Amino acid sequence: MSDMDPSLIQDFLTEAGELIEQLDADLVKLETAEGDELTELCNSCFRGLHTIKGAASFLGLTAVTTFAHAAEDALNKMRKGEVPVTTEVMDAMLRSADVVRDQIDALSGGGEAAEGPADLIDTLHRIANAQADDDDAGEAAAGPAADHDAPGVPLELPAQKADLLEFMVQDLRDYADQLDEVFGQVANDATREEAAAQLAEIGDNMVKTAEFFELDHLSRVVSLFVTTAPSLNDCPGDLLPELLIRLQAAQRLIHDQAAALENQRALTWSLDTFVERITRLSGHTQIEEQFVGLHDNVVDNVLALDEIVKDTYEPVEAPPAEATADQTGAGADAPSAEPTPAADKKKEDAPANKPAVEQTIRVEVGRLESLLNLVGQLVLNKNRVLGLTRTLKDASIPAELNEEFTAAAGELDHLMGELQVGVMRTRMQPLAKLFDRYPRVIRDIARQTDKKIDLLIEGKDTEVDKSVLENLADPLVHILRNSADHGVEPPADRLAKSKPETGVIKLTAEHQGSHVRVAIADDGKGLDPKVIGGKAVERGLVSPEQLDKMNDSDIFRFIFEAGFSTAKQVSDLSGRGVGMDVVRTNIQKLNGTINIDSAVDRGTTIEILIPLTVAIMPAMVVGVGRHLYSVPLQSIIEIVRPETEQVHTVKGHQVMRLRDSVLPLVNMQERLNEERNDHGGRFAVVVAVGGQSAGLLVDKLVGQQEIVIKPLDDGYTQGGPFSGATIQDDGEVSLILDVTQLVRQPPASAGPPETRAA
Amino acid sequence: MSAIETSAANDLAAPVDHSVAAGENELLQLVSFVVGDEEFAVPILSVQEINRMMQITRVPQSPPFVEGVINLRGKIIPVINLRERFGMEKLDDSEDMRIIVVEVNDRVIGFTVDRVNEVLRISADIVDPAPQMVLSGGVDGDYVQGVGKLDDRLLILLSLERLFSDEEMAEVDAATVQAA
Repeated sequence: MSDMDPSLIQDFLTEAGELIEQLDADLVKLETAEGDELTELCNSCFRGLHTIKGAASFLGLTAVTTFAHAAEDALNKMRKGEVPVTTEVMDAMLRSADVVRDQIDALSGGGEAAEGPADLIDTLHRIANAQADDDDAGEAAAGPAADHDAPGVPLELPAQKADLLEFMVQDLRDYADQLDEVFGQVANDATREEAAAQLAEIGDNMVKTAEFFELDHLSRVVSLFVTTAPSLNDCPGDLLPELLIRLQAAQRLIHDQAAALENQRALTWSLDTFVERITRLSGHTQIEEQFVGLHDNVVDNVLALDEIVKDTYEPVEAPPAEATADQTGAGADAPSAEPTPAADKKKEDAPANKPAVEQTIRVEVGRLESLLNLVGQLVLNKNRVLGLTRTLKDASIPAELNEEFTAAAGELDHLMGELQVGVMRTRMQPLAKLFDRYPRVIRDIARQTDKKIDLLIEGKDTEVDKSVLENLADPLVHILRNSADHGVEPPADRLAKSKPETGVIKLTAEHQGSHVRVAIADDGKGLDPKVIGGKAVERGLVSPEQLDKMNDSDIFRFIFEAGFSTAKQVSDLSGRGVGMDVVRTNIQKLNGTINIDSAVDRGTTIEILIPLTVAIMPAMVVGVGRHLYSVPLQSIIEIVRPETEQVHTVKGHQVMRLRDSVLPLVNMQERLNEERNDHGGRFAVVVAVGGQSAGLLVDKLVGQQEIVIKPLDDGYTQGGPFSGATIQDDGEVSLILDVTQLVRQPPASAGPPETRAA
Repeated sequence: MSAIETSAANDLAAPVDHSVAAGENELLQLVSFVVGDEEFAVPILSVQEINRMMQITRVPQSPPFVEGVINLRGKIIPVINLRERFGMEKLDDSEDMRIIVVEVNDRVIGFTVDRVNEVLRISADIVDPAPQMVLSGGVDGDYVQGVGKLDDRLLILLSLERLFSDEEMAEVDAATVQAA
């Protein structure tokens, strides 16, 4: 594969990766599908595998081709309903999908694809060959009724081959299309050698297809490509056009045969003159005088081509002969291989087979990323212009000018908003990208643990930013695994609790304002606050006295602590106490929050709330000392002005009484090492993260603003309580306060759960 | 003295070999600048641009040699105070001070210098390897790639890679934590 164009391989890998995802999802659905749905899913799986196989074979990836072929054969059996869809068969199929995925991954990583495991291939062969004896019996009747208007003789195919027809026709067409490009390259001296090699390869592939259907005429034509290709390299210049014309005629024949094949008909033609001429040309021997020199004139060339094609359609069988001759005669006047009317009709009959033209294009992520960056800068610039309008109002300039400027700035603001939304939307992807993988995850766990679990998915069309999607992938898998492995009980236990034998895990997603809410709910055994609390005390995360004062949902939070696991046994699925820590970290990275709701024997619901996008967010700009800082609006509950008598000091910490509760205060001047001044702490910005809240004492409130988040990941400026930086409308940098850190880590000494999080 | 303005150096910035490792008769293109009493130089190809002092936003709780962050056309980059880094006395901002923006180890970093002198070409022949000593003013020998002997003065060739390496930063971080 080293001599292939790397971009071709890249395209293949991308496409194959997507196809495998789809295959995986379809296979899981297939297991429970019935009737038409089953057939449709089988076909979809088959198409996916077949496409991978075809592309892999084109790229010379033998390991992938061979394995995909074996899997395809087995799948074909299922498609025809000759092999029942049993768990064992599905295991083999799902494992096959994994093998192909691994092969693709290996290739993506720059390695070589490994051969498929022998035992699996054996299994696949066994499935493919099950009841092979019955195969030849019900053949001809299985195909669609032969259309007698179509040209050619009816093709008698065994059922197994007839089923593959659709794919073979597509293959033939694809190959014929590839020929167009190759012919172009043959005409060019610089690329001829490469083109000749490709021609031989395409020819070779087509010979295989033709032989598969025992289409002798076709195989004679396509083998011409193989035999002719080597001679192209040193073909004299004046013979080349002659040769090309005939190769194009041969391509035309392939198209026609492909169209006829759709009606299960084989075209026949007398090829002797044609083949002889090409063979002589490829032997670099001049042919008849009148052909030489024709290539000077394009019109004559086309006429010559028509002549050849007409010649070649010598009908062999009597009855359809006339029709054939007429049609090909008409077709010959317009050499651009139009499908025959009969073929058209056939297409209309089966529109489902033709995938709808996708209204999408692939764009490199990097380009979107830079577009987003530019929009971010534009937003800042817009903020600056808006800031200027306010300054101008105070300046003594004519009122008209001022108004006009304000109007223009307003328009800019409006357009900017739309542009921002537009660009954001290009980065949005449906959660289905993640959700479609999970039925497989749950199925595997259910199989391994002998449980019965249904996964219900709702709202997978909900779209979120690409980075949100990526950061959500791991947490969701961890939570789902936990639900399936620890949450849902084995069937016997469930029956004993008079619950239905089959457990249900429900995964839902929906938009809530500028947030997306993802919830995973199971009807399993639930979390026991006593057990978790006990474990937390045991691990020194909390003192027994503190535990007494905590409510259940705060106690459940301990499961997010690193290394915290209540599982008695560590399985290879979960229980090592790593997962939930990852969940918390990833969700925090997205400025999101998690809530747990659980009741013993009723189940657990984990709810994740995440802003739709992570790059731009609304924030409150506050002043502390001489500097400005931004607080994400999302974490702000309210802003209050603490009166002196409300503020108390408890064990060296400032707190304030807010309505019925006591709110810990964080002195931001102190925390940010700002110079102390008398205006300090005039406002308390009440923020809450994951059930914990605190009041940040700031000096002044500047106002609400859209801010563009820039990371502080340079290695020098980390460590402070900042989640990033942003650029103010005057071009200066201001820091974004990391509310999570500020709330969880009040300075100096505090309760044990807070201090250990450093 | 010729102050180099942004664009001149910017045009030349390209990810080429930054090393000053000497080959025979090789010409080194350097930017020289002054910090404290010494004249230093770095390869011009590692310099992205040279800016006049601009508003630097302090980042609380970062190491003392981190002056803060600046907005470089929409990108936020850290600025290191080289005087502080070399353990020299800090100076108030002056008209001559510049921020040199370099790309080291795939990171864009700015550092402040007292003033920028010139762009010069010197033959690699006149560069001696770094002497194993601590130079006056506390510049650690580790950061010195070599010493260029000009007719009238000495030029200290800094290794940006070592000056801004991860290990170096970690060490300094640790030191700051201990001191705190």
